[in-house]
Amino acid sequence: MKTVPLALWTRRTIYFVFAALPLLFLPACNQNNSGSTSARPRVALIMKSLANEFFLTMADGAKKHQAAHSADYDLIVNGIKNETDLAEQVGLVEQMVAQQVNVIVIAPADSKALVPVLKRAQAAGVRLVNIDNKLDADALKEAGLTVPFVGPDNREGARRVAEVVAKKLPAGAKVAIIEGIPTAFNGQQRRAGFEDAIKSAGLTLVGVQSGQWEIDKANNVATAMLSEHPDLQALLCGNDSMALGAVAAVQAAGRTGKVLVVGYDGIPAIRPMVADGRMTASADQHADQLAVFGIEAALKILKGEAPPADQTTVVDLVTK
Amino acid sequence: MGKATWIREYVALALILVALVLLFGSLSGRFLTATTFGAIANRIPTLALAATGMTLVLIVGGIDLSIGSVLGLSGAMLGVALVNWHWPFAVCAALAVGVGLIAGLANGSLIVGLKVPPFIVTLGMMEMARGAAYLVTNSQTKYLGAAVEGLERPLGGTGLSGSFLLALLVVALAQMLLSGSVLGRWMFATGSNETATRHSGIDPRPIKLTAYALTGAAAGLGAVCYTSRLGASDPNAGAGLELSAIAAAVIGGTSLLGGRGSVINTFFGVLIIATLEAGLAQVGASEPVKRLVTGAVIVLAVLADAWRQRAAGNTFPLWMRLMGRTDVTAKRP
Repeated sequence: MKTVPLALWTRRTIYFVFAALPLLFLPACNQNNSGSTSARPRVALIMKSLANEFFLTMADGAKKHQAAHSADYDLIVNGIKNETDLAEQVGLVEQMVAQQVNVIVIAPADSKALVPVLKRAQAAGVRLVNIDNKLDADALKEAGLTVPFVGPDNREGARRVAEVVAKKLPAGAKVAIIEGIPTAFNGQQRRAGFEDAIKSAGLTLVGVQSGQWEIDKANNVATAMLSEHPDLQALLCGNDSMALGAVAAVQAAGRTGKVLVVGYDGIPAIRPMVADGRMTASADQHADQLAVFGIEAALKILKGEAPPADQTTVVDLVTK
Repeated sequence: MGKATWIREYVALALILVALVLLFGSLSGRFLTATTFGAIANRIPTLALAATGMTLVLIVGGIDLSIGSVLGLSGAMLGVALVNWHWPFAVCAALAVGVGLIAGLANGSLIVGLKVPPFIVTLGMMEMARGAAYLVTNSQTKYLGAAVEGLERPLGGTGLSGSFLLALLVVALAQMLLSGSVLGRWMFATGSNETATRHSGIDPRPIKLTAYALTGAAAGLGAVCYTSRLGASDPNAGAGLELSAIAAAVIGGTSLLGGRGSVINTFFGVLIIATLEAGLAQVGASEPVKRLVTGAVIVLAVLADAWRQRAAGNTFPLWMRLMGRTDVTAKRP
């Protein structure tokens, strides 16, 4: 059989068509950029990782609020690729200063490392509101900076979640904590809240390990903890993603119902699990409203009202 | 390389950079300001230093995946020395560079001494250095404040930070090393054909060791800039930096299989990445769009560089030029 070589130009055309195929996705990227120079105040919302459903919900809530109040302000939303990429978040603050926004509403990826750049932003005339993860009080004091905080009390929330479990267990029952990234302030607060409840209920804490906020890492950690402690009765997880990993580990070990699992955040994925008992409790921080509270505080500041005092937002328990 | 080609060498990348600036300028009325360019300049020193080091190891035919973690460890040691041991900042900075240098020497020694592939050695070092960074800081960010922010302050009303000028100096020195010194020529020779280099009487081992050591030191210096910028030592510093550094080097036309590369072109790669990041943030592009666009620009920049090469008379197929055999005199297989 004789093979017919494709003409060179035909081959090139095919390459180009294939290379251009991704352009089909372009319409999906159509962005609603309010880059116009209007007289409305400009609010920049700087988030942590938008790959995390919690922050995505937060950003969506803010966008909805802006759409409903489009006459009052313009909104620019930015997030970072990865929870730990502090340098990227510092860069975002500087870019928003260059964009001459009036106010920055920020969920800092680190409680201390963002302080110097926020100080520079304030010196450039930008007003600041801190949401979600509270900036470190000592670092703020040393920098001579005051930033109003709007957000949940993670320690109190975590304590209430752990209390649901504590009520179901006898004193002395063995429990373990799967914490988030140990450098994150909210992670530390949740761990502290869990420990508060464990202490006051007289439970035995047999181990604390980090699941790095992620489902698969938490799954590995939970599996190891379950085999190490055959009499373990509860796994307290610092967020819902990690709780999902823990639930899978409990199921794989055939101990569903014998090991209680709790999480934090109240993402939609865990609702059916709470309903059928695979998870005992979680905390709903009303992510969709968190950024909105921050923006409302920011608008008040811009109107010349005195900067609000720190404002604690509602945390509700999610139980059956 | 003649004068005319010397100019042409940088034209393609410079054009992409200008196009990006004009594009974002038209999308946002507030982009074309001194503040924006100041912010970009002050954002890049860490990446510029890491990418310069990465270019050196890529040229000798290696790779350094540990660069981000080594930066994290150097920064962590800087923080500990400053806060716990109360050393002056200059000494702490020297310590950070020293830690990077030692890590680089360890990488290089394992690679040339025990002949372990660089990918594996530096992958191991990436984990070890990150673990060590968590250990020495107890996984906590340390706030350092004004003591370390000196390098970040704008110099003499230019809006440019000391870190930026330091990075420029290192880029210039590295380019002089590559194109003006015997060692530089040996590095290219080692990368394009190690066996031939050995047969011509040059021992490639110290050359490779030097490249890894310099890369480690560059990471240490990057840690000084990073720490100064954040005013804090962060045990997670530099996570994922190795990929950005490789991206910058590749945009600048560095071959992943060695023997070809230029630090100045890598610096253009860094500028392109930083401009893109700044512009996308200023127009408020969403996270998925940012990643789509960044990926597309990396591929386009490499293609543009390849077309420039073809125009300059290099008739090798694109994949061959990207993957190694780049010298015009070599025979096609």
